[in-house]
Amino acid sequence: MLLQLKNIFKWVNSGGQRIFLLKDINLEVAEGEFISVMGPSGSGKSTLLNVIGMLDTFDEGEYNFLDESVHTLKEKHRSNLYKEYIGFVFQSYHLLDDLTVQENLEMPLLYKKFKGSERKAMVADMLDRFNIVGKKDLFPAQLSGGQQQLVGVARALIANPKLILADEPTGNLNSQQSEEIMELFKKLNQEEGVTIIQVTHSEKNAAYGSRIINLLDGRKV
Amino acid sequence: MLSVVKASKNSSIMFKNYLKIAWRNLLKNKGYSVINIGGLALGMAVTLIIGLWIQDELSYNSYFKNKGKIAQVFQSQTFNGETGTGPAIPRPLEMALRDGYSDNFEHLIMCSWTNDHYLKYGEKSISRPGNYMQRVGPELFNLEIIKGERDGLREINSIMLSESTANALFGSEDPIGKTIKVSNEHDMNVSAVYKDIPFNNTFNDTEFIIPWEKYLANNEWIRNAEDQWGNNSFQMFVQIADNTTMAGVTNKIKDIKKTLNENSAEFNPQIFLFPMEDWHLRSSFENGEQVGGRIKYVWLFGIIGAFVLLLACINFMNLSTARSEKRAKEVGIRKSIGSQKGQLVYQFLSESFLVVLFAFVLALVMVLLSLNGFNELSRKEISFPWANGTFWLVSLGFILFTSLLAGSYPALYLSSFRPVDVLKGSFKAGKYAGLPRKILVVLQFTVSVAFIIGTVIVMQQINYAKNRPVGYDKEGLIQIPTFSQDFEGKYDLMRSEFIGSGAVVEMSTSSSPTTQIWSNRSGFTWEGKPEGFQEDLAWTEVSPEYAKSLNLKIVEGRDFSREYATDSLGVLINETAKKYLGMPDPVGKLLKDDDEEDPGPPLKIIGVVQDMITQSPYEPVKQGIYVYDRFNNSSYYNLRLNPDQSAGQNLAVVERVFKEHFPDIPFEYEFVDSQYGEKFASEERIGTLSGVFTALAILISCLGLFGLTSFVAEQRKKEIGVRKVLGATIFNVWNMLSKDFLKLVIISCFIAVPIAYFIMNGWLQEYPYRVVLKWWIFALAMLGALGVTILTVSFQAIKAAKANPVKSLRTE
Repeated sequence: MLLQLKNIFKWVNSGGQRIFLLKDINLEVAEGEFISVMGPSGSGKSTLLNVIGMLDTFDEGEYNFLDESVHTLKEKHRSNLYKEYIGFVFQSYHLLDDLTVQENLEMPLLYKKFKGSERKAMVADMLDRFNIVGKKDLFPAQLSGGQQQLVGVARALIANPKLILADEPTGNLNSQQSEEIMELFKKLNQEEGVTIIQVTHSEKNAAYGSRIINLLDGRKV
Repeated sequence: MLSVVKASKNSSIMFKNYLKIAWRNLLKNKGYSVINIGGLALGMAVTLIIGLWIQDELSYNSYFKNKGKIAQVFQSQTFNGETGTGPAIPRPLEMALRDGYSDNFEHLIMCSWTNDHYLKYGEKSISRPGNYMQRVGPELFNLEIIKGERDGLREINSIMLSESTANALFGSEDPIGKTIKVSNEHDMNVSAVYKDIPFNNTFNDTEFIIPWEKYLANNEWIRNAEDQWGNNSFQMFVQIADNTTMAGVTNKIKDIKKTLNENSAEFNPQIFLFPMEDWHLRSSFENGEQVGGRIKYVWLFGIIGAFVLLLACINFMNLSTARSEKRAKEVGIRKSIGSQKGQLVYQFLSESFLVVLFAFVLALVMVLLSLNGFNELSRKEISFPWANGTFWLVSLGFILFTSLLAGSYPALYLSSFRPVDVLKGSFKAGKYAGLPRKILVVLQFTVSVAFIIGTVIVMQQINYAKNRPVGYDKEGLIQIPTFSQDFEGKYDLMRSEFIGSGAVVEMSTSSSPTTQIWSNRSGFTWEGKPEGFQEDLAWTEVSPEYAKSLNLKIVEGRDFSREYATDSLGVLINETAKKYLGMPDPVGKLLKDDDEEDPGPPLKIIGVVQDMITQSPYEPVKQGIYVYDRFNNSSYYNLRLNPDQSAGQNLAVVERVFKEHFPDIPFEYEFVDSQYGEKFASEERIGTLSGVFTALAILISCLGLFGLTSFVAEQRKKEIGVRKVLGATIFNVWNMLSKDFLKLVIISCFIAVPIAYFIMNGWLQEYPYRVVLKWWIFALAMLGALGVTILTVSFQAIKAAKANPVKSLRTE
């Protein structure tokens, strides 16, 4: 068992009313799964992903990640936990504009305090694997969307996370680029056993996964 | 242990990484970087210069190694309830201290005032200031002897010269053992040459030293003063013994004069040690109490420096936080890939460190370029302390401090963003996010407006005092010093020669310069003098033409006249003296000498002259009497130049005539009006300096405002485009963008005015003759601040308003 959500509630108070963003979510994710979260806009997909990724908090319920109860952890421990085990892929790539491809890849390793020689090896390996060695000294603005997302995935993967969280990873890409990224995810999932949770609008992309979770108004349906 | 090494190595890599990003950021936003670094550099340069100035002030007299142990002996006396304090002491005090208290002192010397003397060697004749001192003087002051002997005052006919004086007289010749003529009278042998005493030192102008014994031998009145407790005409310096303290010694000696000289007891003379450490900065006395002095300017400029630095740091804070939306995404990404808040704070602090480092280098350049000008303005000789390790250490601290001051708020603000909020791409700072920024702008302009008001008031006060009538005509009046015996008995001859030459229309002598009072007298009785009244009168001995040559108006009675022989015992009094002596009808009244044993002849008042300013132009005129000079006590010739000829022509003629009669004496003169102008020098320096600093403060504040406006204009570009498409005029847009900033500046004005009023009113209280604060000064300062704001803001606002809306909308 990689993670487990039990009766998760999240709400905001607006004008004296309580609006639920997540309502009684129960979810168990085993290692090696490839899950797609679907639902209309505003149904809570991204919120759920952020809660799983520990970037966001929740108001009620329990969250266990690798037998640690996340809801009782302090901020610092929480960030150590997700730093160690989770990689994020974003719809709009979110690369650091001021850093080159190579430096963007190196950044998570720096925060994880890898040694210089290890960092070099890991970055070189990643560049090689994603076939972007020739682009290592370019800045994100010099790359196409698909290439940027490739770097985004590479960055998420570089520190060997157990879980990849992808929020509409192909939302900004054309169909050919989308396919490449999805194929990449599939390969990672099947050949390397990386657990993946993606949010998507596309039935086609969802089909790459092994399981689909549908959300509506913060509830699992 | 290993992990510590690893961690520190890792953090240094992080630091390098942060600097790299910061550097790229700086390059990417060039305009922003220029404003940020330039503004900070300006602020740091001001702070650095003020720092150097303060250091110079604090290190005054530190040339003397025993600074902490040296003191001058001071005396306070009380006349009519008013206590005056000064360095003048009587001669018998020396013996009294040597006899009864010698174990308190390591050294004790009598010393003359510093006076100009003519020094002549061969054909070369110069005039230099110097002192008579007792033998251990050079020892007490640790003079650095370059040539000759340290004990250079052993022989009565010896003289010690400063290096520059020796060079001026002897050039490359060896001065030791040579004989020079002092005051065209006394042959003195050069016994030693000492290194020039530096500029920031009380004895800077002591260019030669002659043995005290020579002073006694030359002057009968000084010999006679040996047992005169009432003749306070000398100076005494001491170095206290190692096992004593200033306060301890003062405690023992304070009543010594009162005890040994019963006659003086009614004035309650208090003798005390005035430590060298206080000479320069804490030399003001009021009613016998030490009340500070120049130290207030050290504080003033210190505060100005701190504020200017704060203003510059506020710019940094405001521009950094205003740009936060641009940085928010980066914060979000970094947090999502594992950065902790602390690491982000560290990153942003590294960035501000880099900016401050650049700014510091730029500031150093600015300081180097402006140091000469600053030295001129502040009358200093500050040199840049390149080789001073402490300076660089302090500078490093300064850089770190400024980085923290400027960087901590932005670092904490930026690093607190939550990734979920900022990564959605819809991050907008909340409604009140701009509030701290607004408060900081208000703070900046409050300081700036207060500076403007302060400077205007200082300038006004100076002008007010400058326009005060001096009582005589100081234009076209020169004075020539007559400090040697050569001038004795030559007055009538010189007067007819000068007037005959056509360059001079009238001439007189006086015992003190027209712009100063050199001696004061008491000990008179007169009709109607109140019982127990202790008078104190300014005393000037003059030739009969004094009033005529100065164009000093006679308001009652008549001027001196050579036709009445009795006028040699006549005196003129000024208007203040008339009131002071309580004589409604003074002409013909007598001032009798109240010395019981040997009274001088009574002096008859023959006229009353208009008050003339001889002391501070900010103080009331002192009661004074002008006495017919019977004993050749002339110190100056006062020459009224011929107004029909140019000053240059007149001076050439005067010099020629002078040289004909006094070939051995250097021709020296001074215009009375420029000498009078010296009285304003200190205030004018303060005024100019604070004017410069105010201008810089405003410039820095405006730079920040400029940056903020351009940021707001950029941020609202789309909104402006939409508004313009909907029909907004340029004025509408300008108004929309400027209004917010103007509001802030107006708020600042209303905070600054009462603060400035309170402080400046306090400052003015020190001047009995002072300008009245008028409301329009404050209105003017406010208008000025608003005007500058409008100009600054408009540049960007109009640029934004004129932009083609199609362009700004398309880029979205």
